[in-house]
Amino acid sequence: MSDLTKQTPADPSTIERVEITVNGQTVQARTDKPLIQACIQAGVEVPHYCYHPGLTPEGSCRICQVEVQQGKMPARVMVACRTPVMPGMVVNTETEGAHDARRECLEFLLKNHPLDCPICDKAGECTLQDYSFTEGQGEGRSVEPRRKLEKRKDLGDVILLDQERCILCTRCVRFMDEVPKTPQLCVAGRGSHSTIETWNDTPLSGNYQGNLADVCPVGALTLKSFRFKARVWNLTKTASSCGECSRGCATTVEVLRKGEVTRIRPRHDEDVNGWWMCDTGRFALDAFSLADRLVGTLLPSASRGWDATSVENGLQIASDMLTTGDKPLLIASPWLTQEEGGELLALGQTISARVAFVSTASNDLADDVLHTGDPGPNRRGLSDLGLEALTAEEILHTASEHSTVLCIGERVARLLGKGEAEGFNSLPPSARVLLFDCELPDAPTEGNSPIDIAIGLPSSVERVGHWVNIDGLRRNILQARPAPAGVWNTLRLLKYLHELLTNREVQS
Amino acid sequence: MVVVQRRELTFWERIYLPEIFRGLAITFKKMFEPRVTRQYPEEALPTNEVTRGQPRLVVKDDGNIACVSCGLCEAACPAYAITIDSQETERFIEREPERFEIDMLRCILCGFCEEACPKEAIFMSDELELANTTRQGLVYDMKQLERPASTLKPRIDYVRRINDRW
Ligand code: SF4
Ligand code: SF4
Ligand code: SF4
Ligand code: FES
Repeated sequence: MSDLTKQTPADPSTIERVEITVNGQTVQARTDKPLIQACIQAGVEVPHYCYHPGLTPEGSCRICQVEVQQGKMPARVMVACRTPVMPGMVVNTETEGAHDARRECLEFLLKNHPLDCPICDKAGECTLQDYSFTEGQGEGRSVEPRRKLEKRKDLGDVILLDQERCILCTRCVRFMDEVPKTPQLCVAGRGSHSTIETWNDTPLSGNYQGNLADVCPVGALTLKSFRFKARVWNLTKTASSCGECSRGCATTVEVLRKGEVTRIRPRHDEDVNGWWMCDTGRFALDAFSLADRLVGTLLPSASRGWDATSVENGLQIASDMLTTGDKPLLIASPWLTQEEGGELLALGQTISARVAFVSTASNDLADDVLHTGDPGPNRRGLSDLGLEALTAEEILHTASEHSTVLCIGERVARLLGKGEAEGFNSLPPSARVLLFDCELPDAPTEGNSPIDIAIGLPSSVERVGHWVNIDGLRRNILQARPAPAGVWNTLRLLKYLHELLTNREVQS
Repeated sequence: MVVVQRRELTFWERIYLPEIFRGLAITFKKMFEPRVTRQYPEEALPTNEVTRGQPRLVVKDDGNIACVSCGLCEAACPAYAITIDSQETERFIEREPERFEIDMLRCILCGFCEEACPKEAIFMSDELELANTTRQGLVYDMKQLERPASTLKPRIDYVRRINDRW
């Protein structure tokens, strides 16, 4: 991962600090960071557009001007994001001069800016709105018509560019250059004719395009998939972690009106993902869709359909199945949290079962930015706990040696499906198959589904727990919305089942 | 604790009948005075542009809805009566509502939505009547809310006049 996104160098003792004053407050400021970071450290918010803590500072927008006085020099207004920290600096962000400089700068930024807020997807989290409100002058003085540019410029599958809204901060250009290191954007034209372009209108490519919509401080670069989906103030935001690979990037899961997950965005975590995340994780919204969820307990009926019953009943039946016959096989999905994995292991010991998890095959998405290519978010945690790692093929192969197979966890049926052609449905018909998953796998085209009982589970946006990522770091997941009615929390379900099984063991 | 002291009734009050006749005399007198009650609904209330009736959506003269589904009325509504989903349109404005619902049972006719709208797209009409046999029937959808701009014209002019004063 790019060193630029690291706030702390490998050896923190190498950080040099000097004493400066910010708004009358003494701060031990780092010399390897621009002045704006010292202000932030002092709890003073300095408006900024082109400065992004994860990118090289550029100093093109001039909104971050503050008054700096040093030595015998008279106080001067200068940009905080490109000024190095020097010992004895006296910084004041609230003087009339600084306010004037910022207000004038905003007037120019807004000179050609369209009055698009009502239709702009950025509205509500747009710093141009915020700073116009706190620093702006309320009314423009220019009488010339605004510049007319392209408003729906297609930049590939992910991003749409509105050139009129762009304030030419070049964050997007620097992001492409520095983070995925695939320079694709540039500022074309000069002066008031400058626009953001791709070379020869080539569509953008790569697995990190979604971040452009986050780095853009205004609504110029927006996600096509989020276009007009929601107003941002209607989204309920929950800090969580991404489960699409074993990196476990810190994310914010945003849910619209207690229903569907509408957007997933990266959250700053210095040790794991910096400020970014990949598009695979960002657009994995279908995985949390509320349509076609497995709710309650389903038992196969005589007519190849399903009979529904309560979860308590289902667990009673499941405990019968698990205690008859020889050594059962318990298959966990790598989406199971540490807490759930531990409970499953304890349960397995009670009934002396073989406990394994699906060791997912790598996909070809690995890169040297973030994606590890391993789609199992808790592979490391589950193997540390002591669960056996088995590939889908191995599981389908050994399943015939067991009379009962319990598959538990989000996507577990789908993961088995990837191994062999028939996948999950090719589990031996002789074995009793218990499936605890978020959804039912597609029924086989011919013959009966191998499932003897299916119980619905919450998905990873509906429960609490933690995964352990590829580097052994704890990745917390939090509940972003309640699970559908009739779905039990996985941990509660496992504990309940464990109790039933313990009682049975004691009786026999 | 407060002990309420009841007033002793006088002799004339206690014998009852004189008071009855006094009441009837008032009733009789009123029969010859002008009526102040209104025979609603046969006789409807007069309304004008200041009437703050139920909110309605403006359909512009070109036949398009004026709303761009920015969601400001939804955010301003203190009763959470409004729900909006947006969609893309080929028109210049890019965005229009896909679903616009006002739950008339929740609406308290406060007019905040009218005030919040940056597009002159929602106005308090002079429609006051509200009846249905189900609750769901009173959740008005876009079709039920749309009114041609000409119908809302007096109110639009009135609101513009008020806003000019600020
Ligand atoms: S970029 Fe910001 S200021 Fe510009 S139209 Fe969008 S929300 Fe409004
Ligand atoms: S598109 Fe956005 S990020 Fe890129 S230069 Fe314009 S305002 Fe900055
Ligand atoms: S009038 Fe008031 S309560 Fe009714 S929809 Fe508008 S904002 Fe909501
Ligand atoms: S943030 Fe400093 S010049 Fe843009």
